[in-house]
Amino acid sequence: MIKNLFLKKDNLIINVLLIAIIMFFASLIGYLFRFLGFPETNIVIVYLLAVQIIAWLFHGLLYGITGSLIATFTFNFFFTDPYYTFTVNDPSYIITFIIMTIIAVITSMLTSHARQSAFSAKEKEAETRALYELTNDVTEAKGVDQIASLSIKAISVFFDCQAAILYFDSNHTELNYVQYVNVEHQTRRKVDDIEKLAERLKNLQTLYIEGKDFFDFPIRGQERTLGAIRLPKHISINKDQNKLKLLLSMIESTALAMDRFNYFEQRFKDREEATQERYRSTLLRSISHDLRTPLASIIGTAEMLKSMTDKEDDRFTFLENIYERSNWLHALVENILHLTKIQEGKLNIKKQPEAVEEVIGSAINRVVNMKENRLIKVNIPEQILFVPMDAKLIEQVIFNLLMNAIKHTSVKKEITVSVEVNDTYALFIIMDQGEGISPDDLPYIFQMFYTVNTNKGIDDKGIGLGLSICQTIVEAHGGVIEARNRIDCRGALFVFKLPLEVNEDG
Amino acid sequence: MGEEKILVVEDDKQIKKFIRYALEKEGYIYSGADNAQDALEILVTEDIQLILLDLGLPDFDGMEVLEKVREWADIPVIIISSRDQDEDKVKALDQGADDYLTKPFSIIELLARIRVAIRHINKLSTDNLKPIFTIGNLKLDVENHNFYREGERLHLTPMEFKLLEILFKNAGKVLTTQNIIRQIWGPGYGNDTQALRTLMAGLRRKVEENAAKPQYIITEIGIGYRLRDE
Repeated sequence: MIKNLFLKKDNLIINVLLIAIIMFFASLIGYLFRFLGFPETNIVIVYLLAVQIIAWLFHGLLYGITGSLIATFTFNFFFTDPYYTFTVNDPSYIITFIIMTIIAVITSMLTSHARQSAFSAKEKEAETRALYELTNDVTEAKGVDQIASLSIKAISVFFDCQAAILYFDSNHTELNYVQYVNVEHQTRRKVDDIEKLAERLKNLQTLYIEGKDFFDFPIRGQERTLGAIRLPKHISINKDQNKLKLLLSMIESTALAMDRFNYFEQRFKDREEATQERYRSTLLRSISHDLRTPLASIIGTAEMLKSMTDKEDDRFTFLENIYERSNWLHALVENILHLTKIQEGKLNIKKQPEAVEEVIGSAINRVVNMKENRLIKVNIPEQILFVPMDAKLIEQVIFNLLMNAIKHTSVKKEITVSVEVNDTYALFIIMDQGEGISPDDLPYIFQMFYTVNTNKGIDDKGIGLGLSICQTIVEAHGGVIEARNRIDCRGALFVFKLPLEVNEDG
Repeated sequence: MGEEKILVVEDDKQIKKFIRYALEKEGYIYSGADNAQDALEILVTEDIQLILLDLGLPDFDGMEVLEKVREWADIPVIIISSRDQDEDKVKALDQGADDYLTKPFSIIELLARIRVAIRHINKLSTDNLKPIFTIGNLKLDVENHNFYREGERLHLTPMEFKLLEILFKNAGKVLTTQNIIRQIWGPGYGNDTQALRTLMAGLRRKVEENAAKPQYIITEIGIGYRLRDE
């Protein structure tokens, strides 16, 4: 309260001057009254009025008391006999002086108090209004950016400073920094070193952090810290409990607004994603259904007709063409569907320990069912070996690699599948004795739709997806696949390794 | 081949047409239904020995037809579907389907599966009279607990014998992993498939020449096992 007794220091001289002027006018009126022959009580009343005015005009109790004393002395000086001295002939004036002073002091105190209450009520009202307006504005904001901007504007205007805000965008990936300059202007930039700051914000457990030139107040959301409000230190907010409370309320409403906005945006995004996911799976399902059904009838009918036709008949060859081409089409459809599913990441790998011999056995079985009379040698550890994998997908990899080997080797040549293990991974090796891979093709063979130019013509041309699928699957398992030419003899060698450890994220 | 009457439940007319042709050529009697409603009506009015069932029917899901059929009949059901998800297959097989073919399928393959299923019904009636099974070079004498490969008697552990017996009794059919686990270890065993795989690996080393290139016990990845019987 002591500092409230006087306003600011530089106002003191002006205030003293003002008091002198008021007293001067009071004395002038006093002379007028005496000239008109009014009783002295009227003059006393004029001085009391002057004291009231002083107490009302100037903020502080001391002005009122000082004014009261000055009024009494001035009255004594100008209007009591002997005039122009501070002495008095009639002792009854002493009583007048004392009562006058007491009345002046009491009324000035009352006035000062009333003024004080009016002032703090106004201040309260301003606080409430600032908070209300901020809450109101951020409710209608159309984004986190706008909320941030409104928030620092309200804070800066209220505290009469240039506050700044540091906040995450709604994805919680980008950190923005906005500084208030004036009502029309704010500067905005992205924060690059996001990790360090994010870490610092996360650890903001106290009400605020005192920096060199500023205070940082965390904006705490329900699940995480959303950012921070930065106030310059000269506001010395920590010394005024009311202001501090107001600031915290403002930050709180900012946090609420940001949280709510993030929540809605997240919900919107989730819904969008779910819709897209539904569209995609409906599309995939209908494609696979709508293509498989007619293909089933083409393939089936062609097969049927083939079995009814004599092999020497020309028609048999045509039917065989239909049969093979529709099968090729079917393989293409399956491969594209497969690849789409894996690449979309929707086909989540379900790793579990699988017996390697079963997976290889199944792949070979499928190959043999399609192309008989091929010599496939298997070379795997005698002891049963479990490797974490999605068996269906790895079987597809082995199948694709075997079909690839068969396509590039003549019937008599041997194809080998072997498996080796060490402490950390299992190596699957599929090698053939075919023509090998040309150095021109080697860098590209895992690319989608890349087909090696064989001199066999279009009939035997692949689709160019088999090896891409292998690569996608192996990499999704946290493994590596490689292609090279054999060193020991002619032929190509494909090797892929799968980690033996089951990673939580794998 | 027999005069079994086969009901084909399929809404695609062309597929139905060539299946009909193939079946009649093999000497089966054909009966067709476009939807689940018709199929269920035919099942009560006609004497059907086997059902070929498409899952994607216009009125009900084929799975519901399967459920209804299984409520009152043991008729073999072979699913023909364009759904190729393992979950669909396992679900259908666990609900009592005898086999599962994915579209497009080979007509030769389909006929082979039909033969297996029909042989299976015939075998069921004579099962108790003939506790000796023979497939290829393998012979399983259930009564005397003996197993022979190429005439040579091989020792099987009791578990291996039980597993092989289950496979022989369902020769040609796909048995889901869960189904086998239930039969060997009981229904409360849970989802651990590793014990079965280890047991299977041991059995294969006795039954097969090369465990990684099995001639008899075929792994259906993601679904289960099948003992090849032809």
